[in-house]
Amino acid sequence: MDQQRRNDWILFGSFWAVFSVVGFYLVLGIDLLPAQWAHEAEVVDDAYILLMGLSIPIFAGVAAALLTSLIRFRVKVEGQPTEDGPPVHNNRNFVRLWIASTLMLALMITVNPGFIGIAELRGEPSADIVVEVQAQRWSWKVNYENGAETFNQLYLPADRRVRFDITSLDLVHSFWIPGFRVKIDAVPGRVTHLYVTPEGVGSFEDDFNLRVQCAEICGLGHAQMAMPVTVLEPADFDAWVSDLAEGA
Amino acid sequence: MRQLLRAVIFGILGYLIGAALTWLIRGGSMGDEVCVVFGYILGLIGWLFGIGMGDTWVREWFGLPAREYEVTGWKRYLGFSTDHKVIGVQYLATFIVVLLLGGVAAMIIRFELAQAGEGILNADRYNQVMSMHGILMVAVAVAAILGSFGNYLVPIMIGADDMAFPRLNAVTFWLIPPVAIGLLAAPTLGSFDAGWTAYPPLSVVNNGGQILFVLAVTTFGLSSILGGLNVITTIVTMRAPGMTWGRLPIFVWGAFSASLISLLTTQFFAASLILIAMDRVAGTVFFNGGAGGDPLLYQHLFWFYSHPAVYVMVLPGFGAVLETITHMSRKPLFAYKAVVVSFLSIAGLSVIVWAHHMFTSGMAEYLHGPFMFASEMISVPTGMVFLSAVATLWRGKLWMKTPLFFAMIWIFQFLMGGVTGIFLADVVTDVSLHDSYFVVAHFHYTIMGGMLFAFLTGIFFWFPKITGRMINDRLGIIFALWLTIAFQLTFLPQFWLGTNGMNRRIADYPEQLEGANLMSSISAFILGSSFILFVYILLSGAIRGPKAGGNPWNASTLEWQVSSPPPEHNFSGQPTVVGHPYGYGTAGSRHAEFADVTVAAAPPEQPGTDQGGDHE
Repeated sequence: MDQQRRNDWILFGSFWAVFSVVGFYLVLGIDLLPAQWAHEAEVVDDAYILLMGLSIPIFAGVAAALLTSLIRFRVKVEGQPTEDGPPVHNNRNFVRLWIASTLMLALMITVNPGFIGIAELRGEPSADIVVEVQAQRWSWKVNYENGAETFNQLYLPADRRVRFDITSLDLVHSFWIPGFRVKIDAVPGRVTHLYVTPEGVGSFEDDFNLRVQCAEICGLGHAQMAMPVTVLEPADFDAWVSDLAEGA
Repeated sequence: MRQLLRAVIFGILGYLIGAALTWLIRGGSMGDEVCVVFGYILGLIGWLFGIGMGDTWVREWFGLPAREYEVTGWKRYLGFSTDHKVIGVQYLATFIVVLLLGGVAAMIIRFELAQAGEGILNADRYNQVMSMHGILMVAVAVAAILGSFGNYLVPIMIGADDMAFPRLNAVTFWLIPPVAIGLLAAPTLGSFDAGWTAYPPLSVVNNGGQILFVLAVTTFGLSSILGGLNVITTIVTMRAPGMTWGRLPIFVWGAFSASLISLLTTQFFAASLILIAMDRVAGTVFFNGGAGGDPLLYQHLFWFYSHPAVYVMVLPGFGAVLETITHMSRKPLFAYKAVVVSFLSIAGLSVIVWAHHMFTSGMAEYLHGPFMFASEMISVPTGMVFLSAVATLWRGKLWMKTPLFFAMIWIFQFLMGGVTGIFLADVVTDVSLHDSYFVVAHFHYTIMGGMLFAFLTGIFFWFPKITGRMINDRLGIIFALWLTIAFQLTFLPQFWLGTNGMNRRIADYPEQLEGANLMSSISAFILGSSFILFVYILLSGAIRGPKAGGNPWNASTLEWQVSSPPPEHNFSGQPTVVGHPYGYGTAGSRHAEFADVTVAAAPPEQPGTDQGGDHE
């Protein structure tokens, strides 16, 4: 390898290293993700950060190659180009290596955070309490196991596994709690399920991402189709829900 | 001009007859949706009959000779021309206009979203503008590159004198104006507000404008299918002697694989829209969950086309970018065969990944894993395209003119779109990010970054060929940088907005998200204003730019070996292809020979000579 080609690679390598470091700093050093209010949020965020970590060197590599090309390989052309680049049509071993590594990478992320993440996120199909949610343009109705019912208010116990049974009376809506990082559509004629274990006690007043937001366009009131979520201590929740049922 | 006027009159008459007949038969009012449907169908037929089908096919069906019009000059562009170059320019001009219209809608959207609370639009109006923006831009993305460069360049690049079905080609283009009219007329019936995806039941119960959306987009699908058929037939049957499959320029491969997808999958979208029309006007319940139908059926049918449609958008873009990179860096395209295999694998894989749009739809959970796996696999052929682009640049002789700037920026943009796509293909992260602004940012990087930047690359690369003149290169580079920087500042904040709890398609949002939205909006206005410069560059170049000559880039493929713009039947003699299209760096390498004069692929020994137009 002659000196010039070596310098090309050295420049490329330096850019790559610098971009990767800067990228890792920006993405992992700065808190990009909002507060986690559920066990599921941790699973999702871990997957997000793992994918970010894998993406940064790939992204930095291509950006470094582009910048190196721009600096090292640009030529001044008067009138029309007078010289050609080297007649490299292929480099079989490099192509094989590239395909093998992209394939490996794709398989890797399919397994983790892919399949492993799905298993973690879903967990066992068992729940401590079941909450029924009914969506209708542009509001939510919530029914608890003991017959208690709320309208556009969702109360949940911390550290208990909740199963939501979700349906819709009219259009397709989507039940999204950004603080929990999970969503599932509410579909007329179907009941969809979502498992969540809330963590930490708090309410919409503490974090606006503690809300159920409709995430599937449903007309006029779509943006406003949200209800605040309040996570209570389990004992407080039990008291609250039985008070409500007796009152009703 | 006369044909156009006749088409308008026949179209209106057809509409009135259809609507009136329906009204006479069933009563009610002329404005009922079912009257609109039959009015539109007859109106469409009247339009096509008036624009030129009546003079050609219809006359021949009755044993009469086809009537030809001698039209020259700019008036050709306003009539039923069967010349593939005229049709290419018609597509180009039409879709630049549609692009700018969609851009105006985008500016209105960002104006509304600059602050929380209700601004200039109420929620209803917002949904309508957003839906209009969506469908206009999707139409641009699907048809702009394939329609304009596919028509203009594919026949020349393969050494043919026209497309395989020139009349069908003209019909394919003239199906587009009724689409535009249908969509833009929707506000008269109350507009449509279900986004470009038009999920039922919303799209069954909303305002009457939705029926015009259904009719217009179905017509657009018909145009796509016919266009795809024509491109494929042309490439299969009309290649010049010696133009083997291994010698096709890469843009032709991009157009070929994209056309395969539009020919084979657009029907599913049309079918799903027709089912919506049936639910609306004929009382069927295909998507009514309460009556035994299923809204998810629509989503499966819709995405079965609409995910592959993404590759209809970007595959010709891949072709245009790789084509530009290989010529402007004067190196053979790296790993040509592997790239061709990648294009075809992308086309193949594209039809088995659709349900990754439905991980949160409530479909059966056992489907999640397989669709995630298939979706991740697409990164392998796409990665090959990136390798080819970057490795072709590596150690090339980069001539940093506007097209190469755009091509290199494209690599960056589409990479950003591709990498963020992994987060959405992965079930775990998608459950959080689906239908959030992360998705909005992602598809603007893939579609706008991947397709629009490729379209701009192509526009600037082939501008001298189409107009015979050069653009102001300095302004071109300023435009490229202006657009790119504004683009990052517009869409990077939207990734953050998505992870921080902003869902898409909303007129209003929690006020905690105001800062990033304001930044995105201001940057969007800067982005939008760059297109004033774009229009100026094109117009000033086309009118006053210096003459380009046949081969201003000294490039090797066939379209550069003829004059700019090319003569009426492209070649004065039959070209014979004798070698690889990108023989850069190999002394004496030739791509094609003409009847008597041999044209070298790219002879570096003769700088400044005009290779074009003088092969007679």
